Amino acid sequence: MTSIIKDIYWTLKNELKQVLRDSGVMTIFIVAGVLYPLLYNGIYRNEAVYEIPVAVVDKSASAQSRRYIKKLDATPEVRVKYMANDMEEASKLFKERSINGIVLIPQDYHIKLANREQAHISIYNDMSSFLYYKNLMMAANYTMLDEMAVEYNHVALFNSGGGFSSFLLPALLILIIHQTLFFGIGMIAGTASEESIHHTQIPEHLYGKGIFRVVAGKAACYFSIYSFISVWALIVIPDIFGLPSIGNKITLILFIVPFLLATIFFSMAVSVFIKNRETGIISFLFVTLLLLFLSGFSWPASNMPQIWRWLSYIFPSTHGVQGYIKINSAAAELQHVRFEYVSLWIQAAVYSIFAALSLNFMVNRDLKRFKLNSEVPHNR
Amino acid sequence: MIFNNICRVAKRELVQISKRPIYIISTIVALLFCYLFFFTLMSEGLPERLPIGVADLDNSVISARLCREINSTQATEIVIKESSFTALREEMQRGKIYGIMVIPHNFYSDLLSGKNPTLSFYINNSYLIAGTLAYRDLLSMSVLSNAAYRREVLKAKGYNERDAMGIIQPIIIDNHQIGNSWSNYGIYLLNVLLPGVLQLLVLMSTVYSVGMELKFRSANEWLKCSGGSIVKAVTGKLLPYSILFIIAGLAGNVFMYKVMGYPMNGSFTVIAISTVIFVLAHQAIGVFMVGLFPVLRLATSFAALYGILSFTYAGFTFPIEAMPPLAQGASYLFPLRYYFLVYTREALFASDFSMLVLPLTAMASFIALPLVVIKRLKKAILNGNYSIK
Repeated sequence: MTSIIKDIYWTLKNELKQVLRDSGVMTIFIVAGVLYPLLYNGIYRNEAVYEIPVAVVDKSASAQSRRYIKKLDATPEVRVKYMANDMEEASKLFKERSINGIVLIPQDYHIKLANREQAHISIYNDMSSFLYYKNLMMAANYTMLDEMAVEYNHVALFNSGGGFSSFLLPALLILIIHQTLFFGIGMIAGTASEESIHHTQIPEHLYGKGIFRVVAGKAACYFSIYSFISVWALIVIPDIFGLPSIGNKITLILFIVPFLLATIFFSMAVSVFIKNRETGIISFLFVTLLLLFLSGFSWPASNMPQIWRWLSYIFPSTHGVQGYIKINSAAAELQHVRFEYVSLWIQAAVYSIFAALSLNFMVNRDLKRFKLNSEVPHNR
Repeated sequence: MIFNNICRVAKRELVQISKRPIYIISTIVALLFCYLFFFTLMSEGLPERLPIGVADLDNSVISARLCREINSTQATEIVIKESSFTALREEMQRGKIYGIMVIPHNFYSDLLSGKNPTLSFYINNSYLIAGTLAYRDLLSMSVLSNAAYRREVLKAKGYNERDAMGIIQPIIIDNHQIGNSWSNYGIYLLNVLLPGVLQLLVLMSTVYSVGMELKFRSANEWLKCSGGSIVKAVTGKLLPYSILFIIAGLAGNVFMYKVMGYPMNGSFTVIAISTVIFVLAHQAIGVFMVGLFPVLRLATSFAALYGILSFTYAGFTFPIEAMPPLAQGASYLFPLRYYFLVYTREALFASDFSMLVLPLTAMASFIALPLVVIKRLKKAILNGNYSIK
């Protein structure tokens, strides 16, 4: 028993030394892990688009239409920038990109209202961004409801401001941790493969079955570094920047543990395919985008084709994003994220076996190369 | 003579590619996979039948009818009915439903006695897209259903249908979508996501193919092949990739606008031309990065950071003008931003050509970027005094 702990501790110490010495890996772990959250929070700080410029074509030119326009202008979503004479003028302004929407009030607007008939108002949405569309649609409808005095009661239960960064950032933060770990571990393994030194880094008595101790030691090293980065990115950052953070912190920490373990073992298992120092980033960078959409934070998971849903379950990031959003933004407890929590532990267990297999494979490969070279030293 | 040298370098590159075809094959496979993935992921256009829950505290004939009517709309589907709000809130925390509608206790009797009962609904904006869509549906259902029952009361009192509606809902908002008339979320995202994936792959392959000459110390031989001219060496080396990625980009254009029938209100040729410029601009940026950092690792990391930031700075999800002023300026540094401007102005809105001159010129000017670092790159090749780690 003591020898197991001794071996694990020895690997941990050894790995930590190597990581600290490797400026490339440190850049990914520390700079990317620490600075990315700051950068993205800076960019998306404003949360929403306010007062998008629109043009109004008021054919009715009545007291009623003026009241509607005034109320529309008063909404935080839009600002009436131009009063255009006709649709032609408005559409010219639109094509010049001076406005992000057009509101048309027809000639008979006040007559219909006076006759107690239904009056129509047309809005023309800018479809170049979802947020322009959302703003004008909401503003026009709020104003309409206000004129009608309809009774309804709605509450945005979670992310009540409907903020954009409160929606995007939680998913991004998890993905930043997932991807920096993946690329960092890939770089470590790639370097060792490039220099064929996997075997020299591991004491001989740990080849074969003992490799599990090495895997555990390495994982402990990454885990200890990332426990700090995770607390920073997932707990401190949301507090600093006013992102949703209504979850129980203990629950959050209990959830982060299997997420980190699964991500670490997953990265170690896949790193067998990385032959050079840089090829991890070069070959797998585009996967970042796929993982973001597979996580189901934007296009709802309930509406994905089944095959992509199954695929998404392979990656720790999917469960990490879903669980983190539920705990942090919607105050879910562990029993509410049971599926994600259990999945992450299963992933951690399965990927740790694969990580051992892949490390064993790399050691044997390097050992063979080494023997080949030492048998025929003069051929080089 | 000039072309001879360029061709010789290009041939050398082709030989190198054929020796290790795995990289080029995986690039093509990655691109095809991304196209396939995003097209099939959002094939619905807009998410439909979003799961919601209903707490029916009234349990009357009318409340049951309201539930059936909600189920008959495209956007939402009631998957859970509970008698308490708390149980539904937990389901929302589990992420099983995106919205909750509460039908109050006295809904039916209030309607009968001419009062205006209030429906309450709750949505989860942590999933902003699903939340917004569920919100829109629940809002219109609660307004309209209230109206529908009141209409029946009014009709019973002797009003005709038209007059009744005029009293209940005097104003109607007609939605029109300029450019993307289906209000299709897939169209909105894919037009930028696919060029975005393309630019990641172009950047990475450029940085790798130039950077590995330095790293594996074959750069001198590469330079000799071009007769000592660094410009020819770079041009010849990147030529095979230019052709490959331009074909890939144009194939994406054809697929989107010709096969899938995505909105194209302007000229396809303009989009095709901007795709060509787009690819060349990113190759130039790749060379610029290797020139700036002649160490493969640094160049890769830098290109990766830049490529990922491109998506943010395209400004298609979160508009640039809504960012803090300090963050806005960086948007000028990303060709994906200019491509997005060209695409919206040409394909969606069919603006005047004068609106395209600026973004197209800006995008094209990136192609000159390698000239800034070309001397530095040559020096790095000749001296070979860069670390390989």
